[in-house]
Amino acid sequence: MIRTAAVAAIALFLQGAANAQMSHHHVSEAACDTAELRCASKVTPAFAPDGTLWLAWMAGGRISVARSRDHGKTFSTPVAVFDQPLKLDWGPDARPSMIVDRHNRIAIAFSIFRDKNFNGEVLYTRSVDEGRSFKKPEPITPSKESQRFVQLALDGDGSVFAAWIDKRNRARASADNQSYNGAALFFSWSKDGGGTYSETRPVKDNTCECCRIAVAFAGSGRPAVLFRNIFPGSVRDHAIVTFGDPAAPGKIHRVSHDDWKTDACPHQGPSLAISPKGTYHAVWFTSGEARKGLFHARSTDGGQTFSEPMAIGRPDRNASRPYVLASGSGATMVWKEFDGEKTTVKLITSGDDGKSWSQPRDIAATTDASDHPLLVSDGRDVFLSWMTKADGYRIAPIKDAP
Amino acid sequence: MRRLSLVAFVLVCAFLPQGLAAHDELRAFQRGSWQAILNAHAGRPMMVNFWGVTCGPCKVELPLLGKFVKDNPGVDVVTVNADLVPNAREAALAMLRKAGLSSTENWTFSDGFVERLRYEIDPAWQGDIPRTMLIARDGKITTIEGIVELSRVREWFASQAIETSPERARQTHD
Repeated sequence: MIRTAAVAAIALFLQGAANAQMSHHHVSEAACDTAELRCASKVTPAFAPDGTLWLAWMAGGRISVARSRDHGKTFSTPVAVFDQPLKLDWGPDARPSMIVDRHNRIAIAFSIFRDKNFNGEVLYTRSVDEGRSFKKPEPITPSKESQRFVQLALDGDGSVFAAWIDKRNRARASADNQSYNGAALFFSWSKDGGGTYSETRPVKDNTCECCRIAVAFAGSGRPAVLFRNIFPGSVRDHAIVTFGDPAAPGKIHRVSHDDWKTDACPHQGPSLAISPKGTYHAVWFTSGEARKGLFHARSTDGGQTFSEPMAIGRPDRNASRPYVLASGSGATMVWKEFDGEKTTVKLITSGDDGKSWSQPRDIAATTDASDHPLLVSDGRDVFLSWMTKADGYRIAPIKDAP
Repeated sequence: MRRLSLVAFVLVCAFLPQGLAAHDELRAFQRGSWQAILNAHAGRPMMVNFWGVTCGPCKVELPLLGKFVKDNPGVDVVTVNADLVPNAREAALAMLRKAGLSSTENWTFSDGFVERLRYEIDPAWQGDIPRTMLIARDGKITTIEGIVELSRVREWFASQAIETSPERARQTHD
């Protein structure tokens, strides 16, 4: 009896010790902790105008870059954009943003945590020798207040538009003993392929401080930014702004009335695409009073009004991380669903600019942690780009994409 | 006698709610932990708060929860660190200590596959925090997004205070 009791006591002790020990370790969402692609938690793809596929990824505290001339079958030797480890922003919606212009100049921007309070700083860098070396990353703005979720987008004239979430106005309000909800949307331009950026300017105060933003072009010099706004009453629904010209953010329009009143951080931003016909496609997540889950809406009047939101995916399967891409003949959308064991990437397509959509089908799956599914086009085909912990990085053309 | 004492000690350890044995401890929340928490507190009203070091509203909410725990000894309160940015153990413990919650039953997500952990708790939860679940004696769950109003929590615990007969409990559950 004593022996049984002693064994039980030891088992209890060991269980406690195991728990204590495990809680000392963070179990990573990445497969390994070095800088290789297989260890990445976030991978951002971009096709250069010449058809070369470029990847920028976060792994082992570094941002690394490699290229593939065979659509992802093989990659060049990776190059780290900085030779020291960085305290990268590893929030769920943070990732390096990258564009490659027609001169094969590679512009990259990303955020790091600048202090222990998780205040961010947006850094940018550029390569002018086809990715063999990168300039030392520099702050995109001299402001010392928190910046996160930078998004770069390449204009048709070669200019680089940068937008991000910035807390400088919140800090100013706080210094004046005034309350301030969330953060603000700021922007800047680069006219030299991401080598230098113009003075930072504001677009909108009181935006969600913890969600990615989405950028697409409505025309040359006319970027559109979709973002989770904070409407009166702490309602975190989506809004969109389209620039009238490069220096003039237009009027802010509400995309939908989901009525998600929350002071929590959703950590889930939207995706935006604008078709060659000028149709806006917005996709987002909400947990509002009016609707919950993933939704798509389209606008045919330049982002002033949007259609009734169309539900996407199964909320009881944790449908999340929607991404939309528009091409000449239609639109493609992917998102993730989870059934308790397996994460599946679901796909729907539209051949009529988003008026109607196909039935969802499964195009990829994994049984461990995974990055957001992303879509990227080389101008001809549409590809799914997806980093997974268990199965590594994959990029594959989507059959029957419009 | 010695034998009986040891057996009693082991039995007491085995049946104690896990939190009662914890102080300044972060338990590893892994696959199956949610059901283990529900089982350990079955039949007792419980508040579970999901929070994170990087979550601004949580910095406001945690001290309020600490005061609630101090003012209401004996109620079942559990915290789960479910931050979307992995937290250092010391940073999480420091925040709990500062909020007066170091003796509460505290857990921290300890699995890289956080979707699976969240799915076990609530398949519709996308990870936003703070989030509070009030779990009634009969297992009925009330979820509150964002900073919880403590007056509502007090009322809820008060509504749970009356013991119901097994027949009544069954009817309520049905």
